[in-house]
Amino acid sequence: MTTNPTRAPIAVSIEGISKKYRLGVINRQMLSHEIQSLWARWRGKEDPHSNVLEEDRDTLQQPRDFWALKDISFTVAKGEAIAIMGKNGSGKSTLLKILSRITAPTEGRAVLHGRLASLLEVGTGFNGELTGKENVYLSGAIMGLTQKEITERYASIIEFSEVEQFIETPIKRYSSGMRVRLAFSVAAHLYPEILILDEVLAVGDASFREKCLIKMDEIRQSGVTILFVSHNSEQILDLCSRGVILHKGTKAFEGPVKEAVSLYTESLHLRGLHNPAFTPPPEGKL
Amino acid sequence: MATANPTTNAEYITVITPHRGWFQIPWREIWQYRELVWVLIHRDYVATYKQTIFGIAWHIVQPIVQTIVFVVIFTYVAKVPTDGIPPFLFYFSGLMFWRYFQDCVTRTSNTFTSNGALFNKVYFPRLIVPISQMFSNLFGFGLNLIFFIVAYLIYEFQGTHVALSWKIIVLPVLIFQTAALSLGLGCLISALTIRWRDLAMVTPLLLQLWMYASCVVFPFSAIPEDKRWMFIWNPLIPIIEGFRFAALGRGTVEVWQILLGAVASVVVLVVGLAVFHRVEKDCLDSV
Repeated sequence: MTTNPTRAPIAVSIEGISKKYRLGVINRQMLSHEIQSLWARWRGKEDPHSNVLEEDRDTLQQPRDFWALKDISFTVAKGEAIAIMGKNGSGKSTLLKILSRITAPTEGRAVLHGRLASLLEVGTGFNGELTGKENVYLSGAIMGLTQKEITERYASIIEFSEVEQFIETPIKRYSSGMRVRLAFSVAAHLYPEILILDEVLAVGDASFREKCLIKMDEIRQSGVTILFVSHNSEQILDLCSRGVILHKGTKAFEGPVKEAVSLYTESLHLRGLHNPAFTPPPEGKL
Repeated sequence: MATANPTTNAEYITVITPHRGWFQIPWREIWQYRELVWVLIHRDYVATYKQTIFGIAWHIVQPIVQTIVFVVIFTYVAKVPTDGIPPFLFYFSGLMFWRYFQDCVTRTSNTFTSNGALFNKVYFPRLIVPISQMFSNLFGFGLNLIFFIVAYLIYEFQGTHVALSWKIIVLPVLIFQTAALSLGLGCLISALTIRWRDLAMVTPLLLQLWMYASCVVFPFSAIPEDKRWMFIWNPLIPIIEGFRFAALGRGTVEVWQILLGAVASVVVLVVGLAVFHRVEKDCLDSV
């Protein structure tokens, strides 16, 4: 299903995105080794730098293609919060990296309507030697804010993070909880049109986690489109209205969030995915 | 490749596709992230010099010490001629440009390997990092230039007349040329280093040798006429000798050499940026 269930304007349109990695290519990281290998092969002799575990040493290991994502398509309407679920290795993070432009797709395309901010990790760009305040400005700038915008939101950022007392101390002296609170606080004030969250609501203690969830809900209600990757069913049900399940790089399900969550939770308990509504493609196709 | 077109504030569309041209560098996007250049420079200086005694004075102390060593070894011991220019000014002027070039190339060539963790988590145009290195090192160059002027004035007052000509107007061009050359070269090396890590080890060695071929420690006039063709390829020689000619009155440089050097710098810059841009999108798959 790739149709837009509501008639709202589209924020994110993912069309046939695929990502291939080549495994088995002997990536000789030393130029000297690469030259030696080429020289040996040219002479018809054995390659001195091929995989030593290779059984048959007369042939080079065949490079294989590994499709981390294959033909993913769906759209997200403006203001919608969609959950992306899947087992580890199903391609969720790869999809987020492609949408965040950290890596490029092999096939397909995606269209983003609006500024996008992704939280793939809290504390992006934090430098231990700088103070909390300097890091707020650094991290904010790395994630796309102008200095003016940061100054405007500075008071709110510090208040949310609860580290006001230590804001002029280098963050190498912070506890891990403090770091995480400050980092998340900066990220929560990015106010993009599209927000991607990769399992980052699992940080901090229980009271802070609740604060984060409330803040995320506020952000969603203000019209921001959210793509939320998580394993946490509760948080997903709280925040999202639709869900997508990825299985070994393909889209296995797309629909209302309750259905998606129950399908996904069931799939975790059974050995295979035997639910009739859930149809992964035959293994050979991957 | 992604193209960002903010048509209005509300309609900011980005299209993500697999293909990336060699020359479609996202200049508009880089301009949008221009503040990040300053923020990164600030980070580099503050993080490096916190808890140090001399702080940024190190930018002047290092070249001064190096110059004194050269004066002692090359002028007093080896008796290498310096074109009639006071030895201290001779070596310092060469070192000024050389250090800027060397610092830019060395730091830029590590872009992908040392920023891998950051690049893996957030997107911003990767060219921002080499560009901020270029400006960051320019600050150090500026400090050196100020010290050079001070030393120059001291020599003037002591009676050693060093001829400053109007040709000093060419200084910004020389700086620009050095910056372009080092940015291009640094980008090229950083792109290649992703695949072949040992280039990162070879680079400092190459730069060491390059310094000795760049008329930093001897004037071009000291090279025998029949051997001069061996140095034609080096775009740094016209820059350094040109500066000495303009600031101190003695230097061997001809117009065609300067032009050739300028063309070479631009070519290296264009090639370096193109390769860097091409490699950027998949760099994390191999780093």
